[in-house]
Amino acid sequence: MVLSIGERFVSNDQQVHSGLERWRFKVIYILLGIVFSIYIVRLFSLQIINGEAYLQQSEENRIKNISVQTLRGNLYDRNGIVLAQNAASYNIAITPALLPEDEGTREQIYRELSTYIQVPVTNGIVTDKSARFFTPCQTDFGIKEIVLIGDTNAPFSPVNVKCNVNNEIAMVISEKRGTWPGVSVEIEPVREYPTGYLTAEIVGFLGPITAENKDYYEDMGFVAGRDKVGFGGVEYSLDEILLGKNGLRVVEVDAAGKEIRDVQPPLAPVPGNSIRLTIDTRLQAAAKTALLDEMNFWNTWLNRIQSQNGVVIAMNPKTGEILAMVSEPTYENNRLERYIPEYYYNQLSQDPLKPLLNHGISAMHPPGSVYKMVAAVAALNEHVVTPEQEIPCPGTISVVQKYSANDPGIPREYVGYDRNGHGMCNFVKAVGLSDDIYFYKIGGGFENDVPNGGVGVWRLKEYAEALGYNRPTGIELPGEVSGLVPDPTWKRIYRAENWSTGDTYITTIGQGYVLATPLQVLQSFAILANDGKYMQPTIVKEILDSDGNVIQAFKPKLVWDLTKDPLIDILDENNKPTGQKRVIEPWVIKYAQMGMRRVVEDGTATKAMAKLEIPSAGKTGTAEYCDNVAQEKNLCQPEAWPAHSWYVGYAPYDDPEIAVVAFVYNGLEGASVAAPIVERVLQTYFDLKAIDATGGFE
Amino acid sequence: MFRREFWRNFDFFLFGSVLFLCVFGLIMIRSTIAGNIELANYVNRQATFLGIGMAVMLGVTVLDYHYWKSLSKLMYVFILAFLGIILIIGTTSFGAQRWLEVGLVNIQPAELSKIVVILVLAHYFSHNEKKPKNLRWLATSFILVAGIIVPIFLQPNLSTTILLAVIWFSMLWISGLPTKYVVIFGLGGIALGLIAFPFLEPYQQERILTFIKPDENARHGNTYNVEQALITIGSGGLLGQGYNSGTQVQLRFLKVRSTDYIFSAIAEEFGFIGTLILIAILIFVIVRCIRAARLASDMYGALIAFGFATLIAFQTMVNIGVNLRLIPVTGQTLPFISYGGSSLLSLLLGIGLIESVLLHRKTL
Repeated sequence: MVLSIGERFVSNDQQVHSGLERWRFKVIYILLGIVFSIYIVRLFSLQIINGEAYLQQSEENRIKNISVQTLRGNLYDRNGIVLAQNAASYNIAITPALLPEDEGTREQIYRELSTYIQVPVTNGIVTDKSARFFTPCQTDFGIKEIVLIGDTNAPFSPVNVKCNVNNEIAMVISEKRGTWPGVSVEIEPVREYPTGYLTAEIVGFLGPITAENKDYYEDMGFVAGRDKVGFGGVEYSLDEILLGKNGLRVVEVDAAGKEIRDVQPPLAPVPGNSIRLTIDTRLQAAAKTALLDEMNFWNTWLNRIQSQNGVVIAMNPKTGEILAMVSEPTYENNRLERYIPEYYYNQLSQDPLKPLLNHGISAMHPPGSVYKMVAAVAALNEHVVTPEQEIPCPGTISVVQKYSANDPGIPREYVGYDRNGHGMCNFVKAVGLSDDIYFYKIGGGFENDVPNGGVGVWRLKEYAEALGYNRPTGIELPGEVSGLVPDPTWKRIYRAENWSTGDTYITTIGQGYVLATPLQVLQSFAILANDGKYMQPTIVKEILDSDGNVIQAFKPKLVWDLTKDPLIDILDENNKPTGQKRVIEPWVIKYAQMGMRRVVEDGTATKAMAKLEIPSAGKTGTAEYCDNVAQEKNLCQPEAWPAHSWYVGYAPYDDPEIAVVAFVYNGLEGASVAAPIVERVLQTYFDLKAIDATGGFE
Repeated sequence: MFRREFWRNFDFFLFGSVLFLCVFGLIMIRSTIAGNIELANYVNRQATFLGIGMAVMLGVTVLDYHYWKSLSKLMYVFILAFLGIILIIGTTSFGAQRWLEVGLVNIQPAELSKIVVILVLAHYFSHNEKKPKNLRWLATSFILVAGIIVPIFLQPNLSTTILLAVIWFSMLWISGLPTKYVVIFGLGGIALGLIAFPFLEPYQQERILTFIKPDENARHGNTYNVEQALITIGSGGLLGQGYNSGTQVQLRFLKVRSTDYIFSAIAEEFGFIGTLILIAILIFVIVRCIRAARLASDMYGALIAFGFATLIAFQTMVNIGVNLRLIPVTGQTLPFISYGGSSLLSLLLGIGLIESVLLHRKTL
């Protein structure tokens, strides 16, 4: 086509100079025709065939999605004390494109700035590699090098040269705005934990979005490397409530990255909801202090490190609200506010005391005598004994240890903690004195005192599970474990051994294979204190929107009522469920409460609770254990095993408002170590109640 | 010369389309400034040069082109001296000694040398029109051209070197270069290219290599400009995004957009239809120049016209080819349209010479 146009224009004129050959012109026309035809085909391919794809690429060039950071919700205690909030952190940043043209002026700015922020004007060499690993705030580069990297990456984006400067420096530098073009003060929200170590085991901390969960969070619109997410405690488990939603601006940018305009109406960020926890920080402080004081006292008294690890949990048994939850040791979450310092995190994760773990829910231990309440309730409800029935409770008994029905067995001695025995015991006296022999007899049966094998391991398990053992409570905290209530099937599978008669005896007193978390132990007592009603334990009081309006009010949740919901399987002679179920009779629970009251009035905890004027009830526990730590120290000697100290108490006895568990790892006797801690927490609770009633601090 | 008959042979089509291209160029340069303050005076400067260029063109048109014959030797000596001076004291701009500041105006000797090469070669070939086209004829023309090419190559200015070589070859061709030499030239050219490659400046080698094998990682590297040019062209689609509205041009994703990549800018703002019309007009101008060569009444006039036709055609093809990523990047501008005073001046001077050849053919 091109050729023919050319030919026509030329052929109109006949004259061609004699020295020129026509064919040579033709070659030129053909060449022109070929080249321009190729060009037109190429243009057609670029603009028409692939036009859409290139248009797409041009849009990618010019359209930038900017995520507008939202604000995370706050955490408060039940009285409105701030446990976690956002605070402004001032960073000094330089926008390379806005710096003055003149190199001398720039140098001048760098030098003056350097004196304020203590960052050298120049330090290090920028290479491809060092530039790729460059992270603002965590770099040794000087100002010049940081600006160079920023200028290469995005000249119109501010790059931080110094992070977290104090208010005064931020003020001074923001006043220099006019004379230092390009230097700015950027405000970055950081998480602040005013109560720090006191509530770290509950509140937790934040961390960066990691490679594993990057897709998950990016789908929700969060930006890896900028936005932070929950890593521990409530910050982790209730992350979705707290997170909020980032806003979005779709802007047009030019080649240098400068924003020109919003292409779409910007989507404002939705701030996260705040949570009012059920925790009372004052009670938390009292509980922590009581625990630490008690452990320090014994460590000093015994002149050795007896114990550094313990748990105190306080709960309102009628509502399930957790009022305090202390797990010692824990960590200083206010040291993790800005970022997670590697050395500190390593120190925490390698500490054998496991401070990153909430021992109240994530550690399980033999419960010891506090577990006797399971057998106590079971024995009465199953009519194994009557409450009034008097049974001999000597210092020791001999029981034939059998591994199967036909096993002739070996007689074995079972000893109570008091070798002198307690004479004759009825139910309330046995609970009050925590008499081991009485519980052996009702748990596993003994001659004619308790015929037919007592409660037996299978029925014991039914009652343990009804009281909340062997399953996580479902509290809103991460890492809860389920504990263990053993039965013969479990032993065959996991220990490759038959269940022996002796196993039943020691299970009855919370030893052997039984494992429970402190929260489970507390929960089982809260159920008994609350007349058989299992209230869902919770840490969340209310959920508030960003303006502080309550959007989800607190409503106690009943999990089950033992006296109304038939939960106990009736077993046949082969210990298989018959399909029928029974409830726990209210009078059984009354007797259990009477037994626990006896513990305080005239029993194992009478001395420890003497000062508390409010009538309380409770149960001591001294749980012998032989775990890996004890084995390493060669502590597991026969008759002299190390022991954990337990106490659970509630008050007022007739109308309980608070139930408290104290657990001290390797703390020895429950009555002398754990019980005083509970006493102090109960005392503080009622003191605080009195203060609040009179108007308190207001 | 003020008689009607005198202007009868004036090619108004050629003049009209060149004027159209120049004005369109001004309009496009205005769009490609895209808010850049440093480029703000480009339109005024280019308009000034267009005005001067038009005056020069008309002056040269009226003047009988045979007068230039007598100036050939003088011009040749002058340009050699000029290039020599530049090599020694030239201002380094963009890493190359291509400019010499004379008063307020930067004169690009490379532009001047194009005109001189065409006039000198036209003189030489027409003078030896009747002589046998042997090796001696060829070698003499080579030596004439080499005197200008070598200092330009040393500047270094590869694109002008190649352009001058092409002009030389095309003038040889039209003067009746025997076919056997063409074959030898073809083979020799390839051999020369391979031998010369190691002696090129690193940036020139890199450009050729990136063209052959693009480096995938070089986002901001050498492929960036060309990649952006392709995106810019492609995003134009059929009808374009409209004048002053091309996103890649206005947001400056397209680099060197008022000179080397002005074609891409046109493609984005006026689309496939617009670029097609532009190419058609450029081809028309080229063909009208070749027509002038065929109509010339003597060999000298024909060779001048053909030389300038080659100049315009080659610059057009190379510039568009680079924009379309069909040939390696060289700094060739789009005739009449790209920003650049010296280039516009010499092109308009060339058009003036071609019109002169047409006007003065009856005087023979």
